[in-house]
Amino acid sequence: MKKSFIFSGSGGQGIMSAGIMLAHTAIDMHKHSTYLPEYGPEQRGGSAKCTVVISDDEIVSPLPKKCDNLIVMNEQAYKKHQSCLKAGGLLLINSSLVKAENVRTDVKVIAADVDDIALELGNVKAANIILIGILIGATGIVSKDIFAQSLEEKFKNKKPEILQLNMAALERGIEIGKKHAK
Amino acid sequence: MEKKFIKGCEAIAEAAVRGGCRFFAGYPITPQNEIPEYLSWRLPEVGGAFVQGESEVASVNMVYGAASTGTRAMTSSSGPGISLKAEGISYLAAAQLPALIVNISRGGPGLGSIQPAQSDYLQATKALGHGGFHAMVFAPATLQEAVDLTYNAFEYAERDRGPVMILMDGCLGAIMEEVELPPMKEVTKEGTSSWNLSREGCPNRPPRCVTPILPELALENLNRMKGNLYKKWQEEDVKVEHFMLDDAEFVVVAYGIAARVAKEAVIELRAKGVKIGMIRPITIYPFPRKSLSELDYNKVKAIIDIEMTIPAQMRDDIELPVQGRCPVYEYGRSGGVLLDDDGVYQAIEKIVKECD
Amino acid sequence: MAEYTRPHSLMPTPTGYCPGCLHPLATKLVAEAIEELGQNDNALNVISVGCSALNFFSWRGDMIGAAHGRAPAVATGIKRSQPDRLVFTYQGDGDLAAIGFAEIMSAANRGENFTVVFANNQTYGMTGGQMAPTTLIGQKTTTTRYGRDPKTTGYPLKMCELISTLEAPVFVARYALNSPKGVLDARKGIKKAFRMQLEGKGFTFIELLTNCPTNWGLAPLDTLEYMNTNTIPYFKPGVYKDVEAAK
Repeated sequence: MKKSFIFSGSGGQGIMSAGIMLAHTAIDMHKHSTYLPEYGPEQRGGSAKCTVVISDDEIVSPLPKKCDNLIVMNEQAYKKHQSCLKAGGLLLINSSLVKAENVRTDVKVIAADVDDIALELGNVKAANIILIGILIGATGIVSKDIFAQSLEEKFKNKKPEILQLNMAALERGIEIGKKHAK
Repeated sequence: MEKKFIKGCEAIAEAAVRGGCRFFAGYPITPQNEIPEYLSWRLPEVGGAFVQGESEVASVNMVYGAASTGTRAMTSSSGPGISLKAEGISYLAAAQLPALIVNISRGGPGLGSIQPAQSDYLQATKALGHGGFHAMVFAPATLQEAVDLTYNAFEYAERDRGPVMILMDGCLGAIMEEVELPPMKEVTKEGTSSWNLSREGCPNRPPRCVTPILPELALENLNRMKGNLYKKWQEEDVKVEHFMLDDAEFVVVAYGIAARVAKEAVIELRAKGVKIGMIRPITIYPFPRKSLSELDYNKVKAIIDIEMTIPAQMRDDIELPVQGRCPVYEYGRSGGVLLDDDGVYQAIEKIVKECD
Repeated sequence: MAEYTRPHSLMPTPTGYCPGCLHPLATKLVAEAIEELGQNDNALNVISVGCSALNFFSWRGDMIGAAHGRAPAVATGIKRSQPDRLVFTYQGDGDLAAIGFAEIMSAANRGENFTVVFANNQTYGMTGGQMAPTTLIGQKTTTTRYGRDPKTTGYPLKMCELISTLEAPVFVARYALNSPKGVLDARKGIKKAFRMQLEGKGFTFIELLTNCPTNWGLAPLDTLEYMNTNTIPYFKPGVYKDVEAAK
């Protein structure tokens, strides 16, 4: 098994941390994983993209041209990276920000208002965790429990509400993802 | 052994510390900032010193000073900064001071781009500074290899008394992978005690002079010695990976990140029955000439040089041992545009079809 | 009666400087201060580029040659690795105030705990008398044949004045070596700077006004008078910063 993911959007949307958390969870599950960030020169608000590869075997190339799962957090990322998704792959859209016109017909699409859901849960910053939840629910790529552990680790020094928010986001994501499973 | 999911730049920084590095001076430049950032807190933890220099030039000269005392010292930068450091690297070579220079390379020439590229091969292998000297240059392809090579780099630098370079593109600098970190080395100044300027030994030893300037005959002797050293490197210190070469009709030559992408293509083409293999230089200086000169050219139809730079910079080093016995092709991306699996696969497949 | 002997750090060989040059006197003052402080084996001389590099031939003690202007950076690397050594740079004006301006200002600003001995003779001696950043207005050099013109070359840099504006330096002083009094003051100043370094106080800077009979085109004695009438009025001797006196 070898799966690739591209997370894309703009700086501040939690693109990079989503990628790192997913890759780290795979490592915790004793799989192989690579995470590669790509930045623009801006410190804030520029385009953000990262590529994650998860595999049972050692990863030879960390630079796939086309990915199995594409996550787009804004309109610009949608337009720029849509062609990077393999036929039959999964396109995960943040429909709070992406109009998603002319969607490819050869891919599976999940569109969710993750920004709105995150706001409703308490903070828009949790949108990226909802996306990972959807990925977990729809594909089972990593274990929910191990990902939850990594959230606990990440937020152990923050206020308990922050962990609660992220856990809730994960649950909501998984719920949405499961509806689309298989 | 301690396993860690870690970023390339941080892996190199930690491996250097574990390999005995106790002094770092550097200047911010993308995409290697995580190295100084990491060492700024890590070195004081182990009793070492970190200085953020006022410039690349000053930083490499601080390393020159620290190295003269027998302290394991390093600096890091990216292409434009390495150009500025050229002065100090040449002085390190002249004064026979061991040091580790890390280049996390980006698109060039000029300010170029901040995105990854293998644009500094020629600079690293042919002219790291004025005066006609070489440094051993290691070009890891995975973070584990980067850790292992960095960990042992100071032994080479001290054995040969000169600068050693780790050349890695910004992609490997930024990537996160799991690595096994080796244990902390016990480092004394014994390895450098015959020439260093450390206080130990005073006043029982005569005063010493570390000098980048020599009278002409002494300089000629130094250069002759260096010339012999480079020949010895070629005989004894080449590191190279051979992959599926035995019956290969097509041989890809690639190093660093390009080699990983190319290897994926080689595996895929093998699965389709193409007799293809790969030579991956791990030391790009000394270059693995023998690997190329000793290929069976009755079988080999073409050599394919894959690099993340345009035009290919390794080509001359490849053509020298090939000696016109088969054509050499090249494929690359440049300027910060990354190589990718599909692009490399298609480029190689096209060359294979042309030759068949 | 005290015996007048050669300080340990000076080799019993000719220095290589031109007749009448004040460089060897400056070097001797440094060597005497080192000896008086009992630092003969502990001193480390960071030699720069220019006439000051003749130190290679006359100095006895650990030494290292730095690239042009980089002596303060090299000294930084040494001192951070060997904090107990008495480290000093010996630099001329082209080296320190032109090509090495960033290095000297930054090392001073970081408060690096070493001493800079700055020999200011207002010319590039070794390369043949070109204009230095400290060349006086109107002074003729091989690159200012009609005299230094501030319209195109600016004004002579006053390093003590600049460095004393920084927070970190602990002792900054200028002495003129063209009179016995200046020499005696300089000797005290150098010793004080070295002592402060050994006490871990921080960055110390000693500027020594020297001459260049060869490139000024003057007889040695005339250079001393030239300094009185031209150099000293512009580069005023004195202590520019002393944290010990401020208390």
